Amino acid sequence: MSDLLVSGAVKRFGDVEALRGVDLEVGAGEFFCVLGPSGAGKTTLLRAVAGLERLDAGTIRSGGRDLTHAPVQGRGIGMIFQTFALYPHLTVHDNLAYPLREARLDPAQIERRVGEVAELLRIGHTLRRRPATLSGGEQQRVAIGRAIIRRSKLLLLDEPLTNLDAKLRHDTRVEFKRLHRELRMTMLYATPDQLEALTMAERIGVLREGRIVQVGTPRDLYQAPGDSFVAALVGAPRMNLLPAVLANGGRAVALPFLEVDGGPWATALGRFPAGTELWFGIRPHDLAPTVDAQAGPRFRATVHLTEPLGDVTVLDLTVGGTVFKMVLPEERAVRYRVGDEVPVGFAVANTHVFSRQTGTAIR
Amino acid sequence: MTQTPVTTATVAAARPATWWTPRWSNWRLALVVAAVVLPASALTLPVNAAFWLSLAAATLVAVTAVVDAWGRRRGPLLVAPALALLFVTNLFPLMWSLGLSFFRYRANRGAAPVFAGFANYQTVFASPIVWDRLQTTALVVILTVGTQMIVGFLLALLFEKEFPGRRVLLMLVLTPMMLSYVAIGAFFRYYYEPTFGLLSQAVRVFTGRPFILLDTPARALAGIIVADAWMWSPFVMLLVLSGLVSVPAYLYEAAEVDRASWWRRFWTITFPYIRSLLLLALLFRTIEAFKIFDVVFLLTEGGPGTSTETIGVYVYRLAFQYFRTGESTALAYILLFIVVVLTNLYLYFVKQRSAEA
Repeated sequence: MSDLLVSGAVKRFGDVEALRGVDLEVGAGEFFCVLGPSGAGKTTLLRAVAGLERLDAGTIRSGGRDLTHAPVQGRGIGMIFQTFALYPHLTVHDNLAYPLREARLDPAQIERRVGEVAELLRIGHTLRRRPATLSGGEQQRVAIGRAIIRRSKLLLLDEPLTNLDAKLRHDTRVEFKRLHRELRMTMLYATPDQLEALTMAERIGVLREGRIVQVGTPRDLYQAPGDSFVAALVGAPRMNLLPAVLANGGRAVALPFLEVDGGPWATALGRFPAGTELWFGIRPHDLAPTVDAQAGPRFRATVHLTEPLGDVTVLDLTVGGTVFKMVLPEERAVRYRVGDEVPVGFAVANTHVFSRQTGTAIR
Repeated sequence: MTQTPVTTATVAAARPATWWTPRWSNWRLALVVAAVVLPASALTLPVNAAFWLSLAAATLVAVTAVVDAWGRRRGPLLVAPALALLFVTNLFPLMWSLGLSFFRYRANRGAAPVFAGFANYQTVFASPIVWDRLQTTALVVILTVGTQMIVGFLLALLFEKEFPGRRVLLMLVLTPMMLSYVAIGAFFRYYYEPTFGLLSQAVRVFTGRPFILLDTPARALAGIIVADAWMWSPFVMLLVLSGLVSVPAYLYEAAEVDRASWWRRFWTITFPYIRSLLLLALLFRTIEAFKIFDVVFLLTEGGPGTSTETIGVYVYRLAFQYFRTGESTALAYILLFIVVVLTNLYLYFVKQRSAEA
């Protein structure tokens, strides 16, 4: 059962087309992430669902009702803004109670709900204070509290972690997962950060220049990116995308320094003429120094730069002018210095091939 | 201590300069002398002599200060002419009139002032006329400031929204503030003029008779208030508008999502942003309205009778028509005191606001 259904959503701001026909289906109780770089239209999409922007075309339905032209007030949604948008002149308590005041609940009931939410989010000690006196994390939790206190079915989150520091981001990610499990709300979460999307979402929709380019579980997106854009967006360090051409009668992918064949894309490649320009993709984690007996393609590369990250090290390698990254556990990387030559190998099953013309994955 | 000039370094080494060493560069001593001479001469000598002696003492302070600064502090010396002008045209008259307020004196007679202690202040406080004029002033202040606040606030609400022609209209609305009091007074005099004035002609269309607005006390008061409010409502509007546009738009959006009514949105979000600005506008306009003189004098000259004579107009009459100089200075200083109190209140709120921001 779907809780939110967006179809053919188009939104223009003057000459700029922010949404170019977005179709989206979010199931009841699902944690759905809209992932995309800044300017892709994430915020516009969320604001349109909230009713803060009026669509130029397309419809929005939720819980069996057509919301396309419904006023903001009648949509029964909660929203967490990137800026938190706490009311600066009200105490935390009054901020939390704000959405309830118009709902004509009796004061005792309001107090009870505020108490519950404050306990759930562990902000009981801040109730009498003004938002400006709170830390970023506390402000964030007040914003969450205000959005969930009315117990609306659908919660919109517009880059809620952007204004937090790194440690708080991690804690709040965990917090969001906990809340989602406890509240069973449908969550539509916009973020430019692939890590947030991968760790929290049940499904992810990748938005690019106002269009959804791929929808799938985090696993789908990571293992089978639909095009080179998704491949580069999801996963860190990002997937190596090396220019290649179709060679050997349409069966092998020719890199300047290596020819690869027999991958999961081998049959599909048969449809393309020889000489087709391709991207050859492989994740830095899927590359490793070869031991002699190992099967699969291998080549020799030179260490250009090392970035130790503690548990792992990212090695920048060059081979014949092509630069790419390899990730190794710290203890295996420690023996390589800049300028060293490394024998590199990989399993063909882990490689991806994209058309350079359309960006689409070939498999 | 300040650096001793190089030329007198040897002398200074032998005998360190103190504030009582008589020397042309010792402005501290000159200041002490002036501080003694001024009140002493004012109390003991005839006024003419006291005036010239005080002027001489002041000149001495100025000269010693210049000598002291010569060659060492070029910068302060450069502003000295401006300071001298300020002293001659502002500070000295101010002090002198303060002195006069303690004397029995009429500026249009040759007779020398006679020291009277607080007699002038007593007269002023006991005068039923002063209390009557203060009441008139209070009425004007309440009505004109109230009108300005309401009109200014409503104008601000109007101009907060974008609409075609907003910029042009905003400029037009702000024009009255840039005109001089006298121009406003002259304009409204003609508007209210019984035979060919706009208002009178407009009324004549309906009643067939000319309309003399400034005829009765109540209508004369209304005439003054309309003119003053016309001039100063834009000022209130500007202040309130600056508060309104400083409210972040996302707060209104959040309130919309939270289903707040227009009324609640205004009280919980908008009003806190303009509250302190409204207070500033209120105080500032109260101070100004309390001193109101120009518009009243030009429109009604306090009439009919003395029904619209505000305290400002009364001080003017006391000083330059009845020539009760001593009394008028005493009254002027009482008014100054009231304004200073109000101004400090104003500054207090300004500081509070900047501390909030």
